[in-house]
Amino acid sequence: MTNNPNTTVEMAEAKLESPTLIRMKLMWRSFKENWKIFSQSKIGMIGLYIVIIFAVAGFIVYPILAATVWKTTSLNAMVSYNPVTGYDFLQNNPAPPSWAHLLGTDPLGRDILAQLLYSTPREFMLGIVAALITVIIGTLIGTVAAYFGGALDTFFMRVADIVLLFPFIPFLIVISGMMQVDLLTLALIIGLLSGFGGITIVLRSQALIVKSRPFIESAKISGASDSYIIVNHIIPNVMPLSFLYMMFNVTGAIFSEAVLSFFGLLNIKMSWGLMIYTADTAGYIIGSNIWNYWWLWLPAGASITLLCGAFYFIGRGLDEVVNPRLRKR
Amino acid sequence: MLKYIGNRILQIAILLVIYVAIVFFLLHAMPGGIKTLLISNPKLTPQAQEAIIRAFGLNQPLWLQFVDYMKNVFTLNLGISFSYYPTPVWNIIAERLPRTVLLFTVATLIAFFVGFASGKSLAWNRGKTTEYISTIVGIITYTIFTPLLIFVMIWFFGSFLGIFPLNQFLNPDLWIHTRLNAQVIFLYILLTMLIIGMVMLVSYLVALRFSHKVRTRRLIFYLSTIIAVVFSVFFWWVSPVGIYAADILWHMVLPVMTVTIISYAGNMLVMRDSMLETIKEDFITTARAKGLPDKVVRDKHAARTAMLPVVTNFVLSLGFVVSGGVITESLFSWPGMGMTLLDSTLAKDYPLAAGALIFTGIFVLFAHLAIDIIYAFLDPRIRY
Amino acid sequence: MKAVLEIKNLKMYYDTQAGQVKAADDISFSLYEGESMGLVGESGCGKTSVSMSIMRLLPENARIISGNIFFGGKDIVKLSNEEMNKIRWAGISMIFQAAMNSLNPVYRVGDQIIEAITTHEPDITFEEARQRVASLYKLVGLDPERMDNYPHEYSGGMKQRAVIAMSLACNPKLIIADEPTTALDVIVQDTILRELEKIQKKLNMSMIYISHDIAVIAEVASKIAIMYAGKIVEMSDSVTIFKRPAHPYTVGLMSSFPSIRGAKKELVTIPGEPPNLLNAPDHCRFAPRCPFATDECWKKEPSYEEIEDNHFVACFHPQNLKKQVRANVG
Repeated sequence: MTNNPNTTVEMAEAKLESPTLIRMKLMWRSFKENWKIFSQSKIGMIGLYIVIIFAVAGFIVYPILAATVWKTTSLNAMVSYNPVTGYDFLQNNPAPPSWAHLLGTDPLGRDILAQLLYSTPREFMLGIVAALITVIIGTLIGTVAAYFGGALDTFFMRVADIVLLFPFIPFLIVISGMMQVDLLTLALIIGLLSGFGGITIVLRSQALIVKSRPFIESAKISGASDSYIIVNHIIPNVMPLSFLYMMFNVTGAIFSEAVLSFFGLLNIKMSWGLMIYTADTAGYIIGSNIWNYWWLWLPAGASITLLCGAFYFIGRGLDEVVNPRLRKR
Repeated sequence: MLKYIGNRILQIAILLVIYVAIVFFLLHAMPGGIKTLLISNPKLTPQAQEAIIRAFGLNQPLWLQFVDYMKNVFTLNLGISFSYYPTPVWNIIAERLPRTVLLFTVATLIAFFVGFASGKSLAWNRGKTTEYISTIVGIITYTIFTPLLIFVMIWFFGSFLGIFPLNQFLNPDLWIHTRLNAQVIFLYILLTMLIIGMVMLVSYLVALRFSHKVRTRRLIFYLSTIIAVVFSVFFWWVSPVGIYAADILWHMVLPVMTVTIISYAGNMLVMRDSMLETIKEDFITTARAKGLPDKVVRDKHAARTAMLPVVTNFVLSLGFVVSGGVITESLFSWPGMGMTLLDSTLAKDYPLAAGALIFTGIFVLFAHLAIDIIYAFLDPRIRY
Repeated sequence: MKAVLEIKNLKMYYDTQAGQVKAADDISFSLYEGESMGLVGESGCGKTSVSMSIMRLLPENARIISGNIFFGGKDIVKLSNEEMNKIRWAGISMIFQAAMNSLNPVYRVGDQIIEAITTHEPDITFEEARQRVASLYKLVGLDPERMDNYPHEYSGGMKQRAVIAMSLACNPKLIIADEPTTALDVIVQDTILRELEKIQKKLNMSMIYISHDIAVIAEVASKIAIMYAGKIVEMSDSVTIFKRPAHPYTVGLMSSFPSIRGAKKELVTIPGEPPNLLNAPDHCRFAPRCPFATDECWKKEPSYEEIEDNHFVACFHPQNLKKQVRANVG
């Protein structure tokens, strides 16, 4: 209660910075260190570049193009580049690439490039949302199971064993056949289904390692509650691993969505997989020479491959950051 | 050893029960619930509907429905298919399951051996260019969007090279004149392969007991295998139905190749990494110090031990390979479980779709069990 | 008496990304039939490099730059890998450090020994090979019934004995034992050492013991070579080394070894670290840590000379009296 700054406690407090500031500084420093390690991994960097290219294309280039070049209400008023409904009737569709349509048009007359770019942010969102849900569930369950042990632990591990073995795509196929699945629902389903699987096992092992460290003991002795310890001590220490697995989950999510929409099982308007589906059902792929209408399936297929691959590569690059054993000496 | 196997069988059995339970609850969570699933077919007569309601106890409280469902599944009563009415679901599945099993097993075996051999030599002779190319090829085949791969394969082998047939199981023109049942021929092919497999296994064990010289053992094993294969081929050749069997096998080539390509990269990459780790081990230095020839050290010591993580990894990638198999079957119209799953879903044939889902899961669990047992044979440390 | 092993001016270097590491620099010594020799030195001084060079088991980035290794009269440095394979194990065998990892976990122990036998004696029958393994087991104190077990079923001491039995399987002329007992507890260590000595004397084999522990060497070796930073700095018979160590490093080693008899003396440690062999200095490598170093020691490398009968030292200031040294250093 005294205003005298010479009291020991106040003096000590005055010299300390706020704990949040310290935490931020530490985080920044470790981020810089990890970045150095990550940037040495060729494969991680390639993945990162590809992701950045796609992100820029989808989130920046497309909106700009949509607002300017493609919404022209000039002479070609009928030619609108709306990827979903912009049918260009002025030519023989599907048309090969030309200056008007850089990647050609699909059987219904819609611009392929517009479709590609329109779907990009959606694929991103799908992948990241699904992966986030997976990781959140997996981290929570993994750490709780590791922390409390016993029957809870065994139960979740058994469930994880099965989910791990699940033939994932068949499940998704059946589910999407029985109910209407749009992008958000798909992300939720993928997130829920994978959240209980392999990621739980990995994170639980990691949480067990963290739990055995002395500072957990001291936190308990100081009277910290279980939830406090889990949230503030264990989870921050397993987060790098969570983040790593998130990358692999994004790959899986985008891939699953592509497969499902390729089979026409999803209730969505436009996605890369759907582009190939449109081409396939219109009969332009199987049977004839597929290269005749290459722009109908190759750009979409390549995008799926590249984006999935890119996140996988980032995951492999992160592997070296998180797993010091793998680092090159 | 037997105890270990018995233990694993028990665990898998428990997992099986849990799996079916999960499927049940999942199906019930769909709009309409399990009742709709089983009887919402307009083709079903009211009596038939009644029969199903009774068999599955659909008017009872949920947990009783659950018990009845489990009972029914384990007695192979999965309801009646909508699109193939009035065929029971089980009949359809029983017909198609062996085809998927064959496709999957053959592709897996080839993918394993090719991945194993290439990973082994890549790690042993670290040449910059070959390693680089192989890694790139591996990554491409691993990440490529499966339908994309299939398009290219269909074009390349079907149109461009014009060799293999592009879809289905058999050539209808060929079969139209006979009264033969394709399924029967197929099962006989399966039987032949099983017999050859048994011969290989038995000759391997006999060779092991009979002699201690590596040369003699190899002689026994390879000779028996070659005799069995030649004999089988000859048998089919002279039989009147041989040409039909050949037709089926010819149609199998592309799907098998596709699934092999999908699963090969995983094996190769893991094997290479595992070999690189194993080579650093002390017992490899000891083996070289003993004056053993280079190839012996590589194959008998390094590869044999490095193989273990590949087998483990294989279990984890089962889901991925099965998914790839579903896509492959659909695009090649190979009438197996995968195609059944997709078609029944698209046709809203819920009982069949559910049944296909359950059996795909069962198939995966059995594959898991088989691999666990094989692993126990390979690694003496875990047998106790 | 003819020398079983004769090493003349062996130079073996590693090529690394950072440069050339002179792991073994101008090593020379001879070993006669039935003789046991100890190679002593700190970690990284090059003793394992020497043994690997003898067996020609070097990694890809290691090269024997110059020198000869004569085994049974033939220079084995020049042999091809296939020819060397004939000598490996049948002529020279090795007992590795940490025997736990020397055995392949997926094969039975007995089979691994039989493998060594059949590789070098292809005409031997399986039964004969098994009998030899059984008698080897008895020799090292193992129960021959355990021949068909897997390595993970053996204890640490048993594995070490099995590895010793394996090294004897082809009746080699020379055995290199690289820290054979480091990974074991003291009591087992003692037992194994005694048995090794017994076997060596019985079979009249030559042996090279490699260790950093001079106590171990003292028990079993009749001749000792002290290595430091890739060079042999002193070599003589064990009695001379212990009673009249000449090189300051040897003196330091002797003083750091507590003696049970006699008055309690403060143990002397040698401050500092061995030099980085990447940029090997061209003066005496021990100079930075030597309490007797003078200008001369910092200008050029001392030559390896015989200061007494069968007592070699590479030093400008070889010490003579143990007592005088203790007064200086203590």
